[in-house]
Amino acid sequence: MGTTKELLLVYPSMERVFLKESVNVMLTPQFYTLKKEALPIKYAYQAKKIAPSLFDGLLEEGSDYEYMVFKEEEQWVFIAYDVDKIVNFLSSKGIESSMVSKIFFTQQVVDKFSAPIALGQKEALVVLDESVVVVPLAALGENESPSLTVDKTFTPQKGVSLQGDMGSFLTKKQAYALAGVLLFFAVLFVAEGSRYDGSEGAEEELEALYESHPTLQSSYTRDEVLNKYRNIDTQERKKRDGIKKLSNMIFKGVTLTHLSMNDSNYKADFTCVSTQVSKKLEELAKKENYKVTKVKNSHNLNIEGTL
Amino acid sequence: MSLKQYQNELIALAALLIMLFAYMYKHNQVTAHVQEAKIVQGSIEELKEVLALKKIWADKKISKKVESLQTLVPEAKVKWAKKSKKLAANYTKLSANELNKLTTKILNLPVIITLLDVEKTGSNYKVDLKCKW
Repeated sequence: MGTTKELLLVYPSMERVFLKESVNVMLTPQFYTLKKEALPIKYAYQAKKIAPSLFDGLLEEGSDYEYMVFKEEEQWVFIAYDVDKIVNFLSSKGIESSMVSKIFFTQQVVDKFSAPIALGQKEALVVLDESVVVVPLAALGENESPSLTVDKTFTPQKGVSLQGDMGSFLTKKQAYALAGVLLFFAVLFVAEGSRYDGSEGAEEELEALYESHPTLQSSYTRDEVLNKYRNIDTQERKKRDGIKKLSNMIFKGVTLTHLSMNDSNYKADFTCVSTQVSKKLEELAKKENYKVTKVKNSHNLNIEGTL
Repeated sequence: MSLKQYQNELIALAALLIMLFAYMYKHNQVTAHVQEAKIVQGSIEELKEVLALKKIWADKKISKKVESLQTLVPEAKVKWAKKSKKLAANYTKLSANELNKLTTKILNLPVIITLLDVEKTGSNYKVDLKCKW
């Protein structure tokens, strides 16, 4: 991945550049603080955890440092760098963070320093005590001319991605935390949704009913039977209800002389002893929405109802 | 603009999309389940109604129960004609008490009343009943 892009050596006195495509950036020691320690630690993530405490008092206060850790033979190499500072510098040299694929540190390629590397007209990168340092060109000996140039072959395997954080609204940590929460909910929803797959008690009840009444499994048969008996039930209940209402109209002074009921209507003739009784009966009949007919020259009433 | 520049947002967006799909899955499952439950519940209720109505109106013992209408009053007062699942009965000279007992019995029997005619003659009652089941 890293080797496919141009590797640009970045140092404070460099000229402003104009980029057409994204590049990898290699930072000189002016952009990072280096510390080497021989620690009884097996994994890089463990070393990274203790990195802030190793640089205690060495770094500028008020800056937000990040750390890179890798192993160099028996020693752990700790590099502390200020992303904001690096980004601001790159920007001042015409290198927007969106154009930076990955950043590397010269210490990562200490093995490749077979000769000094010139940093402009006045400085050079050399290796002293297994550490890459910046020295004035004048300090180099006659046989130490800065003949080496940085190219793609210097690109280390492990780098730091700037683009993940720069220009982003979310930091990597925030993104992962948010994604974690959202995925947790996703798992909950899927688990909850899959719970609805199984059959419920109602289905079992229905199956049991079908088993005990196999002829009613067909909905057509059910509808047919239901319609038949529902009609009978409604009609017969109306008839019985009508008779009950008419019998409730029999009170002192009222006699039922005739009652006739068929499939569509019913009719009752009542004899009343007085006008008062007749009026009371009429009121009761009208309450039930019956048709009331007074018999001429008497207190008697004929009451009709429909089914 | 490089998409890589917004990779953090893309990670969060991807997670959000996964969550939304999961929510839709859950929602669809719940909706489908509720619909299915409604259908099953409807079928159960329908079936129970059919069974309840059949128990009342298609009772095989109705024919036997109808016989009680003949024995409820003295034999001399009844003219009984029962054929298959139909009955035509004429009652005469019924007292008010007998009339009450008879009508109560008729109303409580699960039969289709096609005709019920009650007429007062003097102090007695005459009843014509036609029914089927």
